[in-house]
Amino acid sequence: MTSTISSEGLWDRFRGMLSRGPTAYGFLGLYAAVCSWLLITNPRTSLSTDVVFVLLLLLLLFIYRSQVALPFRVGLVAILLGVIIPYFGTLNPFYIDVATQAGIFVALALGLNVVVGFAGLLDLGFVAFFAVGAYFWGILSTTQIAAFNPAWGPVPPILFYPFILLGLLLGAITGVLLGLPVLRLRGDYLAIVTLGFGEVIRVLANNLDRPINITNGSQGIRDIERPPLIFTDFVRGTLGWQLDDQQLYQQFFYFVVLLIVLVTVVIVSRLKLSRIGRAWEAIREDETAAIAQGIPLVRTKLLAFAVGASFAGAMGVVFASKQLFINPPTFDLLRSINILAMVILGGMGSIPGVILGAVLVTLLDLQLLPRTAAVLRDLQKSGVPIPEAFDPTQYQRLFFGLLLILMMIFRPSGIMPDERHKGELSEVAATRSRGRGEQDQQGGSEA
Amino acid sequence: MAAEANTQAPLPSGQRSTAEVLRTVFGPVVQLFLFIIGSAVTLGLIVVLLALLQIGTRPDILTRTLTILPQVWIDGMVRGFLFATIALGYTMVYGVLEFINFAHGEIFMVGGVAGAAVGLFLANNELLKGMNGFFFVLLVVGVAMAVSGTLAVTVERVAYRPLRGAPRLVPLISAIGVSLVLQDLVRLMMTNSDLGFNARFNTPDFGKPIRLFEMTLGERPVPVILSPKALIFIVASIVMLVVLNYLVNATRLGKAIRATAQDMPTASLMGINVNRIVAMTFLIGGALGGAAGALFGLNVGTVNPYMGFIPGLKAFTAAVLGGIGNITGAMVGGVVLGFLEAFVASYLSLFTDGALSGAAYADIAAFSILILILIFRPSGLLGEATTQKV
Amino acid sequence: MALLEAKNITKTFGGLTAVNDVTLSVEQGRIISVIGPNGAGKTTFFNMLTGIYKPDKGTITFDGKSIAGRKPNDIAALGIRRTFQNIRLFNNMTVLENVLVGMHTHLHAPFWQILTKLGGVQREEAEARKRARERLAYVGLDAQREELAKNLPYGDQRRLEIARALAGEPRLILLDEPTAGMNPQETDAATLLIQRLRDELKLTVVLIEHDMRLVMSISERISVLDYGTKIAEGDAQVIRSNPRVIEAYLGKGAAGAAAGPSVA
Repeated sequence: MTSTISSEGLWDRFRGMLSRGPTAYGFLGLYAAVCSWLLITNPRTSLSTDVVFVLLLLLLLFIYRSQVALPFRVGLVAILLGVIIPYFGTLNPFYIDVATQAGIFVALALGLNVVVGFAGLLDLGFVAFFAVGAYFWGILSTTQIAAFNPAWGPVPPILFYPFILLGLLLGAITGVLLGLPVLRLRGDYLAIVTLGFGEVIRVLANNLDRPINITNGSQGIRDIERPPLIFTDFVRGTLGWQLDDQQLYQQFFYFVVLLIVLVTVVIVSRLKLSRIGRAWEAIREDETAAIAQGIPLVRTKLLAFAVGASFAGAMGVVFASKQLFINPPTFDLLRSINILAMVILGGMGSIPGVILGAVLVTLLDLQLLPRTAAVLRDLQKSGVPIPEAFDPTQYQRLFFGLLLILMMIFRPSGIMPDERHKGELSEVAATRSRGRGEQDQQGGSEA
Repeated sequence: MAAEANTQAPLPSGQRSTAEVLRTVFGPVVQLFLFIIGSAVTLGLIVVLLALLQIGTRPDILTRTLTILPQVWIDGMVRGFLFATIALGYTMVYGVLEFINFAHGEIFMVGGVAGAAVGLFLANNELLKGMNGFFFVLLVVGVAMAVSGTLAVTVERVAYRPLRGAPRLVPLISAIGVSLVLQDLVRLMMTNSDLGFNARFNTPDFGKPIRLFEMTLGERPVPVILSPKALIFIVASIVMLVVLNYLVNATRLGKAIRATAQDMPTASLMGINVNRIVAMTFLIGGALGGAAGALFGLNVGTVNPYMGFIPGLKAFTAAVLGGIGNITGAMVGGVVLGFLEAFVASYLSLFTDGALSGAAYADIAAFSILILILIFRPSGLLGEATTQKV
Repeated sequence: MALLEAKNITKTFGGLTAVNDVTLSVEQGRIISVIGPNGAGKTTFFNMLTGIYKPDKGTITFDGKSIAGRKPNDIAALGIRRTFQNIRLFNNMTVLENVLVGMHTHLHAPFWQILTKLGGVQREEAEARKRARERLAYVGLDAQREELAKNLPYGDQRRLEIARALAGEPRLILLDEPTAGMNPQETDAATLLIQRLRDELKLTVVLIEHDMRLVMSISERISVLDYGTKIAEGDAQVIRSNPRVIEAYLGKGAAGAAAGPSVA
């Protein structure tokens, strides 16, 4: 009994040492250095590299949670995200692709979080806005544009940059157009209608090759244009990095995505702490009470829809350009569910939570499931009875489905709930430990 | 049944005359038939009108329109009853719990797969040939109802009951999870068995298609045929609807279900075991969905683990169209939606001269109806307006 | 001129007439009570004043402007705020945030300023927080400002609802059973608070209340609803001795026997 108490005390003290004071600087710095060194000296794709890579991402969370000077935290994060990961990416392209993919989903999840987490509107067709952005760039940057007018040619690739903004705008407009008719609906109806809308967009993408070929139907759009690499000379000449075009594009998209994620985080944090964010949350909590405070219901909900959709639209442009190829199945319901799972896993309404959720789900998708698949295959070969057709990478629905059910039953507020709930949670923890203490006392008296 | 807790002799007022029971049981069926005839005639007139508008440029269009019309009607009936039987599951659960059981489409799918498994088992054991068709249908539907009903109750117990009383979106998200899990679990089971991903639905020989009549339009005679499987589907659906109406409107269990739907706390104060009623609701809705799945598989010929999703969505649309929570409404909504879809699927390519594929746009038509209904008449065709309590 | 004037308003739900031809006028700076047995239509009447329901018949004017059938958020912006019979706070927001939401109609920082933090947005936000804390201090909740609303004790939740309503700087405040479920001490504190709203903040107050001691002690005029119809109106003395009121509360035959509905 005494041992448990003292070990808990030890653990708390240990955690305190790692997150506060001079020891924390040492711990974080050393942690970063060791991980970076391990990655750079041994960049081959393997299970151990996977583990170190995840540990490195986990470090970002520790830094966020620690209580050391802000410049130190910002500086360390900047080094990790701005130098270590890109440099590691030149050694092994797989991991920087994982990081870029994670970034894309972080932005999407933050967008959906505005709708679901802040305003409490369950949108099951969120991927539609992503599709709109992707097809927007896909159609206009390729010969597909001739469908509208044979005289038109693709837009110059350099227009990629303004098109990110146009994608943002287009996403917002689509959000408003969808929202206008449906936002008067009650929550669960809204979920089904947005799901239907997502399906409609996918069906349209699949069928708008007739009567005029706008989307090229189920064939999808190929050879989507990438922006010209205007900084090639700078990297190869001034920095002396001899990277091929493929690597340069990976670096480029990594930084573009990182930049968009940063902007997104700033925007959603500022909105959350403003009159608008409060109005969203008020609507989520109680529509009738919100409207009695003078909050216009439909307009405020529309704004949430538009803001969420705009991130998806902008990311769609980047995604299409990065992937070079898009087709309707890229934007199916499973993708929407995927993004929803990120928001729910991390914690609805919690910005750091949603970022964590997006990263975790992407890692699950790109690293954990393929690794497990490989392990299972090996086990199968050695004679362990595992159903032959069971390939974890092919069973995403199963994993995401389980994730949704388990989160709803055991932790509906997510693994990193909205900060505001902190007080409440620690209160629960306090009563729990108090209860445990009493039990211990009883146990002690019996002994 | 669930109200057995107070096993008093039925009160005199509880006894109803046979005529009254017949009226409550068959009244909705009559209403349903009126809607069937109404939709068929209205939509038929509309396509004829559209054909007449185009007759100047395409002289053969009226003939072509009329030639396929009877077949479209039959198709509409089959689709309609499909949506109706699935929609009943949504609407019953919604009526009692005010909760959209998103996984209901998968309950339907499981029924289809269970039916296909029975068919495969019989075929493998050489029992299928020469088996009585009627007996086969009873067997397959019976097994599907048992499997789907049990599954629905299990799902409620595991994934929904712990969440009762949570904010609305919480059980809905859990239901979405259940839907995904069921899809992949069934896929895992199917691909690791002889069924395979796209499982054939083995049946005994039901005989030749029935030639209802022949039409001579233009030069050649066009027969109007009804496949025996479609006939089985329609007859079985009607039987199920009648039985359900009897169950809900004329039995103690039905009374308990209706009481729980009205006001759960009060029903529980009246000695009704609410948890049991909710389970019974899932059992009945699930069994109906399973039966629909088996009949659908039998009619179409194959089943796969993802086949429940789109019919599930459309059945939900049907339930909303008829007024969610209202049993007759779900049937009516299903039938109306089925006819609409059949007409869009068959006539859209005809009227746009092949430019738009009817099958794809039928889905869009269904969702557009859902959106329009929710905006302009959220209470549905037969539902009552509800006001929010403040 | 009356600040609020409801003339002949009627509302029916299906076959039930919830409010029938009720007229009420409220002068600036008064405390008016609406009483009546449960189900008499009091809350429906409030819901029409605040725009949640649209009256079937009749007119409502506030400060000379017609408000019948206007949206609740527009009415709130004009300066009518309310509390709810069954407390409706934003449970998962903090006490301070609840009050800040109440200020929504007074915050105007445009979207781009919020995103860029340029212009007056930060000043506006700081000012809003200061005012919100003043409101909280006024009802005695400043110390609990960082708590979640749902974690407050019952009586504090009622006071927070009042603070949130005050944050909108209304001219008229409608209180729907502000002391329901309170113990006598809490009721006394609430009574005092309501009086201060009028005396110190110069607010006009309309309240629905069942606690007759409170009603009789602070109302300048009392209107009695029964089955949706106004059956009596006047000061405490008049109401106490009105036979129809006694009948409504105690039933037929009691009118002669009972002295008055002392505590209903």
